[in-house]
Amino acid sequence: MLKDITLGQYFPGDTIVHRLDPRTKLICVIIYIVALFLAVNWTGYIIVIAATAAFMILSRISPKRVFSGLKPMIFIIVLTGALNVFYTKGTPVVEGWIITWEGIERAIQMILRITLLISGTFLLTYTTSPIAITDGLEMLLKPLKLIRFPVHEMTLMMSMALRFIPTLIEETDKIMSAQRARGADFETGGLVKRAKALLPILVPLFVSAFRRADELAVAMESRCYHGGEGRTRMKQLRFETRDYVTLILFVLFLAVMIMLKRMS
Amino acid sequence: MSEIIRFDSVHFTYPGDELESLCGVSLSIEEGSFVAVVGHNGSGKSTLAKHMNAILVPDEGRVTVCGIDTSDQDRIIEIRRNVGMVFQNPDNQIVANVVEDDVAFAPENLGVEPAEIRRRVDDSLKQVGMYDYRQHAPHLLSGGQKQRIAIAGVIAMHPKVIVLDEPTAMLDPVGRKEVLSTVTDLCREHGMTVVLITHHMDECIHADRMIIMTDGYITADGTPAQLFADPALMESQGLDVPETVRLMYALNKEGWNLPLDALGVDECAEEIRKAVEN
Repeated sequence: MLKDITLGQYFPGDTIVHRLDPRTKLICVIIYIVALFLAVNWTGYIIVIAATAAFMILSRISPKRVFSGLKPMIFIIVLTGALNVFYTKGTPVVEGWIITWEGIERAIQMILRITLLISGTFLLTYTTSPIAITDGLEMLLKPLKLIRFPVHEMTLMMSMALRFIPTLIEETDKIMSAQRARGADFETGGLVKRAKALLPILVPLFVSAFRRADELAVAMESRCYHGGEGRTRMKQLRFETRDYVTLILFVLFLAVMIMLKRMS
Repeated sequence: MSEIIRFDSVHFTYPGDELESLCGVSLSIEEGSFVAVVGHNGSGKSTLAKHMNAILVPDEGRVTVCGIDTSDQDRIIEIRRNVGMVFQNPDNQIVANVVEDDVAFAPENLGVEPAEIRRRVDDSLKQVGMYDYRQHAPHLLSGGQKQRIAIAGVIAMHPKVIVLDEPTAMLDPVGRKEVLSTVTDLCREHGMTVVLITHHMDECIHADRMIIMTDGYITADGTPAQLFADPALMESQGLDVPETVRLMYALNKEGWNLPLDALGVDECAEEIRKAVEN
């Protein structure tokens, strides 16, 4: 049952979006988020929607998949919409109502903003493997090494954490089954009771995670791991023409959004 | 053949332990040989293995690997690239989310050129028969496959020696067979020195040499055929013998006169056929 959990899900493919350098995609997502927050009127939103749609089509990720990723966020989206509908001052829709035309417009824009924010970032994780993302991050953050920020260590930790998620989920399943076999009850009772029932799972899980970490450290040392110094990479990241083109397009996109904001 | 690993009266006690785990072990391993080390839990066989690539350093005595003293902290990387180590739990030694990235980990650490890493990764994966799985996620593979990935990850360093610390303990019979044939192949086809720590006697059959450890001492050392042919010795060590040898013992008790050094299933069958025909 725990296996259904997906984190940073990646759908392999061979489209132009998949082949883009992860650094390009990371920079583009940042530009995209900035641009999204610059959108103040419908023209701005339509441009962002068009950009998102273009990427969705290019990466052959079906909108259904993107929207299914939005499901866990529905509560927040609805709440934001509702708050905006009720708390924006302006002309009432019907005389005496609290709901205003401006409120409805704001609500739609806010809902769009959150939806686009999430789908945009989903497009990154759907088309880029976790390893590529950490590799890209490591390269992008390299300048931080100058201020002694442990870039290599941090990205190694990230990719290792990703690597062990399925292993630990499997282990949790095993421990839960073992506890259930001895009469533990995880399904009934109030919130407090259920939270308490989780304790006998967490303790063995942590113990085994620490043991794993210890063994992993020895195995890594045995394979000559000695920090990021003098380390090479098998997969070299290289900017291709398509990366430059994408980046230029995104900079233009950002410029347009800034102009729109200035004009309004 | 020349000597590649040498132990000179090595003593070792784990911090906080009262008993010594290694009590003056002396040992010499020849290049290109296949050595099996057997013994019960706590006999010191894993401790012995961990001394071979300087994960542990002797309290007393000396371990020399490829002519380098393992207590020399400055040359530790050189020792570890020459002696690869595979551990019991395949899950705890795979570092990456993709098979080929994991195999590339060691050469990347050694600062090998990217093109050369690619070549080594492909070669290593082909050697262990996992080339077709290079793009897979390790956690979706079987135990035997994961362990072969771990072996590939080690041989990508191009080590002279590969030490395997109970590599089959967590595997099913199919996985055990896969791993064993891979290991035997490494020694026979590629001239690698193999040290296999195990408690399955069946796995020692193909070794050139078998070392029995008890309570931190080496209590027997010889070819598997020699050691298994001595029922008194095996019994005094509390160790089992391979099924083929057990069959021969049983038949001999019934008045047959069969040699005890035919360890393989085929050889054993051949001996029995000969005996029956006479």
